[in-house]
Amino acid sequence: MPKTRVGVFICHCGNNIGGVVRVPDVVEYARTLPNVVHAEDNLYTCSEEGLSSIKDKVEQQGLNRVVVASCTPRTHEPLFRGACEEAGLNRYLFEFVNIREHCSWVHMHDPVMATEKAKELVRMGVAKACHLEPQEDFESDVFPAALVIGGGVAGMTAALCLANQGIQVYLVEREQELGGLIRGVQTLFPTEQNTEELLHPLIEQVKNHPQITVYAGTVVEKTSGFIGDFDVAVRANGEASNLKVGTIIVATGAEELKPGGLYRYSELPNVVTQLEFEERFKAGADLPRSVAIINCVGARIPQRTYCGRFCCTTAIKNAIWLKEQDPETSVYVLHRDVMAYGVAIEEFYRRAMELGVRFVRYDVESPPQILGDARAEAIKVQHQLMGKEVVLPADLVVLTTPLVARDDNEELSRMLKVPLGSEGFFLEAHLKLRPIEFSTDGVYVCGAARYPCNIPESVSQAYAAAAKASIPIREGMVRVEAITAVCDERRCSACGNCVEVCPFGAVELQEGRFGKAAHVNPAQCKGCGCCVASCPSGAMQQRGFNDRQLLSMIGALAEETTSGGA
Amino acid sequence: MSNRSVVVVGGGIAGIQASIDLANMGLQVYLVEQSPSIGGRMAQLDKTFPTNDCSMCILAPKMIECAGHENVHLLTYSELAGIDGEAGDFRVTVRRKPRYVDVSKCTGCGECAEKCPRRVPDEFNVGLDKRKAIYLPFPQAVPRKMTIDAGACLYLSKGRCRVCQETCQAGAIDFEQQEEVVELAAGAIVLATGFDPFDPRSLKEYGYGEIENVITGLEYERLICASGPTGGHLERPSDGQVPEIIAFIQCVGSRDVNYQPYCSSVCCMHATKEAILANEHYPDLKSVIFYTDMRAVGKQFQEYIIRAKEEYGVSYLRSRPGKITVNGETGNPLVWYDETVYSEAGDPERRVASMEVNLVVLCQALVPHSVHEEMASKLGLELDGSGFVAVEDRLLRPVDTSVPGIFACGFCQEPQDIPDSVVQASAAAARVAEILSLASKELEHA
Amino acid sequence: MAVHDTESGGNGFEPKILVFACNWCSYAGADLAGVSRLQMPANCRVIRVMCSARVRPEFVITALSKGLDGVLVLGCHPGDCHYSEGNYFTRRRGLLLQKLLQYVGIEPERFQVRWISASEGAKFAETIGQVTDQIKALGPNRSQNGMQPAEPGDS
Repeated sequence: MPKTRVGVFICHCGNNIGGVVRVPDVVEYARTLPNVVHAEDNLYTCSEEGLSSIKDKVEQQGLNRVVVASCTPRTHEPLFRGACEEAGLNRYLFEFVNIREHCSWVHMHDPVMATEKAKELVRMGVAKACHLEPQEDFESDVFPAALVIGGGVAGMTAALCLANQGIQVYLVEREQELGGLIRGVQTLFPTEQNTEELLHPLIEQVKNHPQITVYAGTVVEKTSGFIGDFDVAVRANGEASNLKVGTIIVATGAEELKPGGLYRYSELPNVVTQLEFEERFKAGADLPRSVAIINCVGARIPQRTYCGRFCCTTAIKNAIWLKEQDPETSVYVLHRDVMAYGVAIEEFYRRAMELGVRFVRYDVESPPQILGDARAEAIKVQHQLMGKEVVLPADLVVLTTPLVARDDNEELSRMLKVPLGSEGFFLEAHLKLRPIEFSTDGVYVCGAARYPCNIPESVSQAYAAAAKASIPIREGMVRVEAITAVCDERRCSACGNCVEVCPFGAVELQEGRFGKAAHVNPAQCKGCGCCVASCPSGAMQQRGFNDRQLLSMIGALAEETTSGGA
Repeated sequence: MSNRSVVVVGGGIAGIQASIDLANMGLQVYLVEQSPSIGGRMAQLDKTFPTNDCSMCILAPKMIECAGHENVHLLTYSELAGIDGEAGDFRVTVRRKPRYVDVSKCTGCGECAEKCPRRVPDEFNVGLDKRKAIYLPFPQAVPRKMTIDAGACLYLSKGRCRVCQETCQAGAIDFEQQEEVVELAAGAIVLATGFDPFDPRSLKEYGYGEIENVITGLEYERLICASGPTGGHLERPSDGQVPEIIAFIQCVGSRDVNYQPYCSSVCCMHATKEAILANEHYPDLKSVIFYTDMRAVGKQFQEYIIRAKEEYGVSYLRSRPGKITVNGETGNPLVWYDETVYSEAGDPERRVASMEVNLVVLCQALVPHSVHEEMASKLGLELDGSGFVAVEDRLLRPVDTSVPGIFACGFCQEPQDIPDSVVQASAAAARVAEILSLASKELEHA
Repeated sequence: MAVHDTESGGNGFEPKILVFACNWCSYAGADLAGVSRLQMPANCRVIRVMCSARVRPEFVITALSKGLDGVLVLGCHPGDCHYSEGNYFTRRRGLLLQKLLQYVGIEPERFQVRWISASEGAKFAETIGQVTDQIKALGPNRSQNGMQPAEPGDS
């Protein structure tokens, strides 16, 4: 084995480090450390000069480990790793020591202690560097096809976007027809066009696209694998097929809540949901003289706390439609807040009021009551803003209910190893910054499967999911930084702690050369080290942060205790 | 540069996300940002609803990922000067303002700023404190390069000083630097220029600018932020006291035919968050939110409101106050409002009431920061009546503008929060990829 | 901005404290403390790990058995872990380890787990100051006489 030859580069960072830490002393000290064959100081190690010096010394002095003591690895590690690589040294044989943010800048009034600390930090860094091993990033192939589960507006949009980029797409839809939830809707907000006008061309494009294979009347039965290499078993009419894909998009949508025992829905023939209203009345039935629309039915209540997001929009849309059919129709919208957010919906709300739609605010504690025997005839409600009970005529009562998660979400979530949130919708990796991704790489979600949303939002999410799903396919491979966990099968007792503990499902027990042992899939491993710390035998280690390396730092620190200061 | 390049205008979270996605697709991205650092409005937030994540903590890794990507070229402290051409073949003119700092030498160590004698209002902290003439907009700025504000600099305006130049050991100060006009060729353009806060001064009835203890939502955000001008101590302007009761007023300038007719979408949640933070910092502090409709429509938003009420004692009062006056002795603002909801059933009167509070926060409208009207009209880029970038086919092409090849994402086209902006940013990237019709094979060699 | 008096010298005991800081939150918080020039005592030495869950109990025991005066493990606030669950493991391990250490006679202040987010530079400085003071007051760690430390490469 070649002797370890460590080069140490201590940065002044102008005066930032040099003004507090006695850099020349640290350099001199570094020279005394085991395996250090070269030590120097630089004014700015990150400058062109500094980087060149590192490269030169690696070549000239045959350095096989480089330690830089300067600022923070969080910004500069890639830079120095790159310099090492350019000089022909494996980029993972580099160690960073922070003597600025963690030393000179925070001990400005104590240069003596700061210098001692810098020396110790360098000693620790050198100790770790001696135990570093060359590593290669893991690369795994990505199969150039994508699966879209769900053929509604979201699913179709995602499929077309991917296909238009030349990517092979399998679109699996449970029903015989494409179109999803909005097939039940007659006219759309804000364009007020017929749904058919929007859906029909979209469906035709999808069916005719050479890069899209539609599996209608088909369900997903089983999935296995990981990003780049998913195996998906689907079944249609008893016939099974297997699909291999690189990425998967979940676009399975949601369902309108049927409000069961609320507002005498199941009891009276003229109490309907919004979708039922669309189906019965907008398709040409006789229109009632008076309509009462009740919002927040089965939403924003203790049993179901969330807001359906676009149901106020739907209520306003249909209220306007009714007035446009006949301005004499009395239309009341009973609400608990009007969620007309943004530009267009707020404008729509104003228009509804101008057309004579009356908005009545009610309190969740005093919900409206349906009056009538065999049919609904009127609504009695505590009008919050008038402070009294009013009775409103209602030949028809329309209940605005939220979308709820599909029953089959649970099964799909188990198959794909992705989580559901408390409401039953799919739970994304991060609510703010990763709204359509999962913690599981290679699987994405869009549309109402994630949370109720209107068409523009659903379509935006579908495009976003297509963007994400296309990237690994374009690159052709997935590259993972070499800080993943690795199991030494000889030492593994297959206790399974690591399998349990891994937040990403990256570890499995497999039959190996030495019997059953844990195996880490580097394509899924994020390099957290949870499994390593839970391994009782030390079989599981993390590259770049293994036990030997970290213990050597502890040992180096404990070597010369400088009690009492200077 | 060929048509495999994209220019992204605006370096907030939307612009950053679009750039990362486009870069990961193998396209060359030129990210143009007018301030010295990317980060945008999200960098100014303390926490983000409904997760109460520390905003900078989740933003900084994205900023570093964006700037560090080999396919992303940052043009910070730069402005969009013009756009010519068409989809697949745009020529974008960018005016790069002189920083008077050589970025190839500057290490961002900050010694120059320590020595600079000149202080001016700090725009990152919305004027609540001061910064130096040579400065980093905020500690986590990307790129970490100093910038000299020519208007504030003693040397550039009066020919004296130059302490920064003397101090800089890297020799990075360059007072000879000139403005540079660059022309970029691009196949597509993504607009992500975000928003500006509406100045509530014109709403005289609220007394902003006259009554000291009436502040805006963004000012409050900087005060409550641990890395803000008061280190997270909520010191009210008149006497530095911590308020015991705060009134948040919603829809200041929004949903108002006299100002912005639209709903700014995020302020209900924003106020709730601010009230929660106030109570977290000061458990005895009471907050009252004056609202018209409580628009909490996103995922986990209703649950956030419930927590605010139950765990943090936040009160919600349905009313849009008509006026704010001040108790001259105490400096306490008085909020005058109509009771719109009867306090009790059967109560025959609705009163005009007043509430004395210690601090009023005006949740002001948010106004789109769009492309300049002249540039827009020259380009045929339609803006709507309120200045948002118009989207023609809202349903099926929600990020397409009226100009083929130019896409818009985030607040500049529709009031929306961070997750929606991030989604639209990725959607814009997808549309770019689609229209450039790049087959995967071609990009293997990108 | 001085947060803590940092003068050394005299015959005062200066503890040596090992700190594990997770890359995404606490290490970044420490960086922010630095960027903000928040002054603190110079007794701590940070080892960077990707997640606080990487820290195995053996590290803590080794450190204390080799004579280091204290170990501080820093992670993201519960619920904010970059790897979703890592800091929950840290919390549980921490609780058990505390009990074990106390059982063998080591003062509880010598091993602590704290949560620091990337924007909490001030909290980092405060924590370092507080922990240093606490351990200083305890005096040097004499427990190495009764413990068998692991050598690097043993595990």
